Amino acid sequence: MAVNYSAKEEADGHPSGGVGVPGGGAVGSGGGGGAVKTRKPDNTAFKQQRLPAWQPILTAGTVLPAFFIIGLIFIPIGIGIFVTSNNIREYEIDYTGTEPSSPCNKCLNVSWDSTPPCTCTINFTLEHAFESNVFMYYGLSNFYQNHRRYVKSRDDSQLNGDNSSLLNPSKECEPYRTNEDKPIAPCGAIANSMFNDTLELYRIDNDTRTPITLIKKGIAWWTDKNVKFRNPTGDGNNLTALFQGTTKPVNWPKPVYMLDSEPDNNGFINEDFIVWMRTAALPTFRKLYRLIERKNNLQPTLQAGNYSLDIAYNYPVHSFDGRKRMILSTISWMGGKNPFLGIAYITVGSICFFLGVVLLIIHHKYGNRNTSADIPN
Amino acid sequence: TAVNIGYSCKMLTDDMTEVFVVTGHTVLEVREELRKAREKMMDASRSVGNGFSSKEKLSSSKLTSVLEAIAGEYALVINGHSLAHALEADMEVEFLETACACKAVICCRVTPLQKAQVVELVKKYKKGVTLAIGDGANDVNMIKTAHIGVGISGQEGIQAVLASDYSFSQFKFLQRLLLVHGRWSYLRMCKFLCYFFYKNFAFTMVHFWFGFFCGFSAQTVYDQYFITLYNIVYTSLPVLAMGVFDQDVPEQRSMEYPKLYEPGQLNLLFNKREFFICIAQGIYTSVLMFFIPYGVFADATRDDGAQLADYQSFAVTVATSLVIVVSVQIGLDTGFWTAINHFFIWGSLAAYFAILFTMHSDGLFRMFPNQFRFVGNAQNTLAQPTVWLTIALTTVVCIMPVVAFRFLKLDLKPELSDTVRYTQLVRKKQKTQHRCVRRTGRVGSRRSGYAFSHQEGFGELIMSGKNMRLSSLALSSFASRPSTSWIETLWKKKGSEGSGAGSPSGTADKTLKV
Repeated sequence: MAVNYSAKEEADGHPSGGVGVPGGGAVGSGGGGGAVKTRKPDNTAFKQQRLPAWQPILTAGTVLPAFFIIGLIFIPIGIGIFVTSNNIREYEIDYTGTEPSSPCNKCLNVSWDSTPPCTCTINFTLEHAFESNVFMYYGLSNFYQNHRRYVKSRDDSQLNGDNSSLLNPSKECEPYRTNEDKPIAPCGAIANSMFNDTLELYRIDNDTRTPITLIKKGIAWWTDKNVKFRNPTGDGNNLTALFQGTTKPVNWPKPVYMLDSEPDNNGFINEDFIVWMRTAALPTFRKLYRLIERKNNLQPTLQAGNYSLDIAYNYPVHSFDGRKRMILSTISWMGGKNPFLGIAYITVGSICFFLGVVLLIIHHKYGNRNTSADIPN
Repeated sequence: TAVNIGYSCKMLTDDMTEVFVVTGHTVLEVREELRKAREKMMDASRSVGNGFSSKEKLSSSKLTSVLEAIAGEYALVINGHSLAHALEADMEVEFLETACACKAVICCRVTPLQKAQVVELVKKYKKGVTLAIGDGANDVNMIKTAHIGVGISGQEGIQAVLASDYSFSQFKFLQRLLLVHGRWSYLRMCKFLCYFFYKNFAFTMVHFWFGFFCGFSAQTVYDQYFITLYNIVYTSLPVLAMGVFDQDVPEQRSMEYPKLYEPGQLNLLFNKREFFICIAQGIYTSVLMFFIPYGVFADATRDDGAQLADYQSFAVTVATSLVIVVSVQIGLDTGFWTAINHFFIWGSLAAYFAILFTMHSDGLFRMFPNQFRFVGNAQNTLAQPTVWLTIALTTVVCIMPVVAFRFLKLDLKPELSDTVRYTQLVRKKQKTQHRCVRRTGRVGSRRSGYAFSHQEGFGELIMSGKNMRLSSLALSSFASRPSTSWIETLWKKKGSEGSGAGSPSGTADKTLKV
């Protein structure tokens, strides 16, 4: 295609001798006629714009093979992704309860602080078994975690365990900064709207309900849990004492140091809390809730059959037309079920290939054969 | 004297149809002489074209169109006295039209003020850019009046130099100034502008699309620091290098083919149409830049099941694909890759990733938790194959149409500069193949071969036994038939300079080597 081009080689055809070429850098001070002080610009390659350079040209020999190669690479990748995505098992249940026939309809207009919490149970059937690890997500729709005022409503130094920020949260958290003159820990609208439904899964086997073990550790990013979120430091491990002087967020049923009984999942480093604080990019999103690990290689993690989902419906979404759902999914090297990427690759690959063919035809029939005879001079 | 000098520097040639001399001392005489000149020119064209009734008084716009279509070459010589009359308000348009119909106009014995007035006249009525070149203090007025003033530093001191936009030491460098540096400058400026609008539209319009999905709350798609550094650090240096070093054809070819100068005169490289194309490309890129990650992230998770569709990962993905796409685009736009271009383009990409990982590192977060909120993001997000597949897809979809369009344009309707570039490339290849075999022949022989082989006009000239070496002005006048105003202005100035300075030594330099 392109050849290394050196401007110096052209100079051998140039007929002029001394005066013409160095003074060719004509812009700027002119070369003086005086012998004592000459203002001639330097005759270096940089200043005379003679730097050696590569000059690529889009010829048919480079463009057409490029299109074909890209087409031939993208289509198999797309097929691979699509097949992988199709092999992922996913099951989704919308449990908002807006339809009167839904078991959760009675909880639809529940308030956030009702005690005892409203519960409902949804029975469902899995057609196929779920092999390997199964991940349980909760999903929300029409919930704008990416709103600008919402996104900035947090105090990262407080969440990192800084003691001064604990008692004096940042102004960004307004209006969720203080409650009854006591600082809120954790402050801000994001923490305040934390998702607090409880979901439990049971297998139904001839009228016996076996609970399925749900693991609540390992759902957050490692850097989040170990670097970004830290409990406040002090003497002793008693979190209640460390959070002395603060109050719980307005819409929480329990304060932050009572989120879990285990000390390494309590306080700011509670993994459900961390997952919620990582705000979603789009109004319809899903967040990891629990893991279901496979027990041994012989049995699938979730066999095909009947299951029931017990929900403690604490989180009201009906007021803003939101929807809630529970998703069970397996995972592959590219994450969850995502047909978009596979289809996009196949489409783009085929378009590239087709474009390559079209360009080849056009070039063959109408393309100019560039010759020096075309230059009008 | 002026006429003799005109002949010796080949502004006037023997095969011009007529040379009009205007030497009237009163207004009426000058008017009469101008009218006679016009009639003679129109008569000649009428005998070639269709018939008109001869004594019509034509309005000025019809006059222009008729005069532009005259056949034959004319020249006008006017002295200072007559010029004073000709430049009066009621006659100046007539004078201008008559003069512009001529191939060459020589004004002799003019005062500095008149020089400036002539330039002023041309500026006012003609749509074009004027250039004035002079070397003495008497030329300062004219240099300042014209759009572009060129001063010659030398015999007559540096007055002209101080007043000018450009200055050099010899008249012959004017050719290089225009054909090489002027052309390159125009090309670089247009490419630079186009790219700048494109990259900023691609960058900013993503927020417009994101607005539909964030409740129109003006939430930025990118990290704050990315927004600050995008225009300064990540994308400024490559386009700067292109704006400084870009060359479409080497300088020797620029001098050989003056017709390459035409796109600058016709404003072809950056006009309303080109601007809208740039903008459209920017908007198209922004659509893909947002909606492809949107489609992927709608249901995406990491390969360990944890969350991937969070705001910060989305920001990193879109930002990375944006930087890569605009870098590939500047790579496509740069036609002349010097070492500096390479360094700036790859260096900017490397700097982006270096800064990204630094700002998302633990160390900076520990020092300023509220400033560097994106801790851990780059490591986590850019380790996901899904993210890189998204970035690759976005890049390909944004760049492929551009490549296809440019290839089609090069293939079906190449500009002169493309053809010259291509032949340059072919010649380079042949040269490297035949290097050992070829003996260097006579130095000038190749050039004269090119200059003569395609124009029949030169055959007569050679046969007539005149000077074998033609001035480049005559050459360029043959090459670009529709009369270009800069040539006439140049000739006018050269003529006035030639008569004003009165030194015949300058003429030796004017027979430029081809």
